[in-house]
Amino acid sequence: MGIAKFIVKRVLLGVLTLVVVSIVVFALTQALGDPVEAILGREAQPASVAAMREQLGLNRPVITQYTDWLTGLVSGDPGVSFTNGVPVLEVLGDRIWNSLFLMLLSALVSIPIAIAVGTYAAARRDKAFDSTSSATSLVLASMPEFVTGLLLIVLLATNVWQVFPAVVRIRPGEAPWVDLGALVLPVLTLTLGVVPYVSRVMRASMIEVLESDYIEMARLKGLPERTVVWRHALPNAIGPTLQVIAINIAYLAGGVIVVENIFNYPGIGLALRDAVTDVNVPVVQFIAMLIAGIYVVVNLLADVGTILVTPRLRTRLR
Amino acid sequence: MTNDRRLELWLPRAMSRRRLITGTGAAAVLLAACGGDDTATSPSTQGGGQSTGGSTGTAGSPATTAGGSATTAGGSATTSGATPTSGGTLRVGLVGSTNDLIDGQYIVSKADQARCVTGWDPVVNYDTDFNISFEHSLAEEIETAAADNYVIRFKEGLEFHNGKPVTAEDIIYSFQRRIDPELNLAPGLAELLGPDGMTAIDDRTIEFQLLRPAVTFINSLAEYTTTIVPVDYARFDGDVSTQIGTGPFMLESFTPGTESVHVKNPNYWGSGLPLLDEVQIIDFADAQALTNALASGEIDAAIDIPFAQVATVESDSNLRILESQAGNWLVITMAIDQAPFDDVRVRQAMRLIANREEMVERVLAGHGRVANDMYGVLDPCYPSDIPQREQDIEQAMALLAEAGQENLTIDLFAPDDTAGLAELIAVFADQAQAAGVTVNAQVLDGGTYWGDEYTKRTFATSFWSTRPYLIQVAAGSLENAIYPETHWPPPDSDFAEKYEQAIAETDDGARCEIIAEMQQEEYDDGGNLIPFFYNLVDGHAANVRGFEARPNLLNLDHYGRGWKNIWLEG
Repeated sequence: MGIAKFIVKRVLLGVLTLVVVSIVVFALTQALGDPVEAILGREAQPASVAAMREQLGLNRPVITQYTDWLTGLVSGDPGVSFTNGVPVLEVLGDRIWNSLFLMLLSALVSIPIAIAVGTYAAARRDKAFDSTSSATSLVLASMPEFVTGLLLIVLLATNVWQVFPAVVRIRPGEAPWVDLGALVLPVLTLTLGVVPYVSRVMRASMIEVLESDYIEMARLKGLPERTVVWRHALPNAIGPTLQVIAINIAYLAGGVIVVENIFNYPGIGLALRDAVTDVNVPVVQFIAMLIAGIYVVVNLLADVGTILVTPRLRTRLR
Repeated sequence: MTNDRRLELWLPRAMSRRRLITGTGAAAVLLAACGGDDTATSPSTQGGGQSTGGSTGTAGSPATTAGGSATTAGGSATTSGATPTSGGTLRVGLVGSTNDLIDGQYIVSKADQARCVTGWDPVVNYDTDFNISFEHSLAEEIETAAADNYVIRFKEGLEFHNGKPVTAEDIIYSFQRRIDPELNLAPGLAELLGPDGMTAIDDRTIEFQLLRPAVTFINSLAEYTTTIVPVDYARFDGDVSTQIGTGPFMLESFTPGTESVHVKNPNYWGSGLPLLDEVQIIDFADAQALTNALASGEIDAAIDIPFAQVATVESDSNLRILESQAGNWLVITMAIDQAPFDDVRVRQAMRLIANREEMVERVLAGHGRVANDMYGVLDPCYPSDIPQREQDIEQAMALLAEAGQENLTIDLFAPDDTAGLAELIAVFADQAQAAGVTVNAQVLDGGTYWGDEYTKRTFATSFWSTRPYLIQVAAGSLENAIYPETHWPPPDSDFAEKYEQAIAETDDGARCEIIAEMQQEEYDDGGNLIPFFYNLVDGHAANVRGFEARPNLLNLDHYGRGWKNIWLEG
């Protein structure tokens, strides 16, 4: 069956991508600095330094270190933190779920909004809504996330109005959705980072679709414009947009790091920052691979989704 | 599931100067390296054989004995006549990371400091004049038999968090742990005291025989990490029930990088204290998020408000700024054995180029006071009669011309991870132009800066916190100092001999004379350009009562001495 084979091919390609990424990540983390010096300090005795290198497994040949790490990663054991010997998964624990939740929530909020904005702008092309949303999109797209985030804090948390909290406090063991009000600003920041791009592409795709023959046909048949747009045009316009949506969702994985820093959100973003400073190589590697994995999975879903949504491509697969 | 690659031999992280300022943002941040005493006075001991009475705290109370002393601390909380109320939870925010640790006798970052002070009490402490006091500490009297022999008597009825009484075994264990070479908690103390130097005279009196005469031993007792822990105490390793101390709050939970929760100690030796039920110490990623959290009411107190945010916080009627003068300093260092600074006239010229008032304005936004190229400003022996050095471009140019260094061009280095240093070299470079000196201000990445080249550069910068003069000398101004930044003293100087004399001198007056000579020599010929002392600037909500703005070594009024005097109004 065409689709099944396609999916399998894509999955294998995804795995290959991850392997290549793992090599790059491993190579780059070797350049982070000397973990032993970061942990023991400059004036450590040579004996302590040697002992720690042994403990951290840094005396093994590089290839062995890489293969050991990779096999561990695949079997669910990404190693132990260099700074305190605790397994990486335990160190990151809740933080992974917290970050994933923030990403998911932001995606669920931003994508429908972006689609709606893009569709509406295309349907009312060149009118008030379109020009306003274009201008706003341009401004938002040009602002780095931390600027957007800080502006939102000034506007809604500390200076102008004090409606939302400026930081997100999730206590150890609590679920990330325990205080949805506190999540408004971080999600809004990420949303304002994603909507400009997706809505623009949606708009462009929608405009093209609205000019096609079958839409003309639907209008001639007398269908209300709303039905034409939302039931006939939209499903066709989404296809090309899925790739951009996928890229933006994957971008959220990185964007979450900036947002976590601004709002003090207890996720992997903060842990990554500490790990880099401490040259805590296993933690850095794991988080990098996690984000890479998210990219690959989301792109895979987008590819499959595109196929499913575009019958023409499906037939081409047979 | 256990991981067989788990580190068994995990060695405690040695003190690294950089670690202390990581992540603390724009506020002035800097912390004593371990081994140096974090204090600013010489001990106020009388000549041999007399015991030190406790000097009084700000409330004017007499020398303290067991139990009753703490109530005098309660007196200082009622500054506006409001009556302290019991109960409530205090949320304190500070910059922390997943490297947070809890150890009653060791800290790396300010987050660790706060947690240490919350759960453990020191042997002695300083009052606001930086004289030795027993108000907030476990000892009640120290008898100095000789510069190398001390007898310390502890307060009666001291108990740990679990109700177990403090005994001589606990005290001896605590000191042995402090000097244990494997743990390396206090190298300075380890040089003075050997593991067999302690003898119990009775259950609360211990005799200390030092390895060498050193009146600075008493300063080491005043370090906030010189605390008493129970026998077999070890650093936090996942189990909160092991973190037993004598302090006002007990550890209930701790998640490094996120928060720690401390609950009221019902057995606390200060009767009626602490007032609060619970203290939460919450980690933040950076100073900006911390300040935002304070402004939006998520936390009740925050340490190290960035200078740029101080005005904003002050303008908020629900918040208060707490500013304390301390003796922390930033410095431009000149290596006295490297050209061009091997000529003393060039060193003097550099010091005359500095416009210190301008530096306080431009680097600290006014949150500091002018310094006179000498450290140890809070030490009772600080020579305040030495005239304040002022900018004198003419004289500077004359000195440079004499030394054949007119139109000198030179590189000056600073790290990017220490608040104020990058700004300091930029301002100095500006000021140097007036004297025809071209200073190339170079900011290096923190890791590189504090790496191999640190203490080897000709012209560089550094940071230090408040210390007694002699402790600071041992830390930076001797040939075998921990951080010999200026390669002081010069070969033909008797500075090192004077140091040996001073630390063996038990008579305060005589010791101050020696110190004055040493300070004068550093003032005249030294390699340090110390432009100012910067303040500690913290913030808290208006309803948090009990903090006072007074000279302190640690933020938030020495963390409220473990928050015991702090209460919530309304």
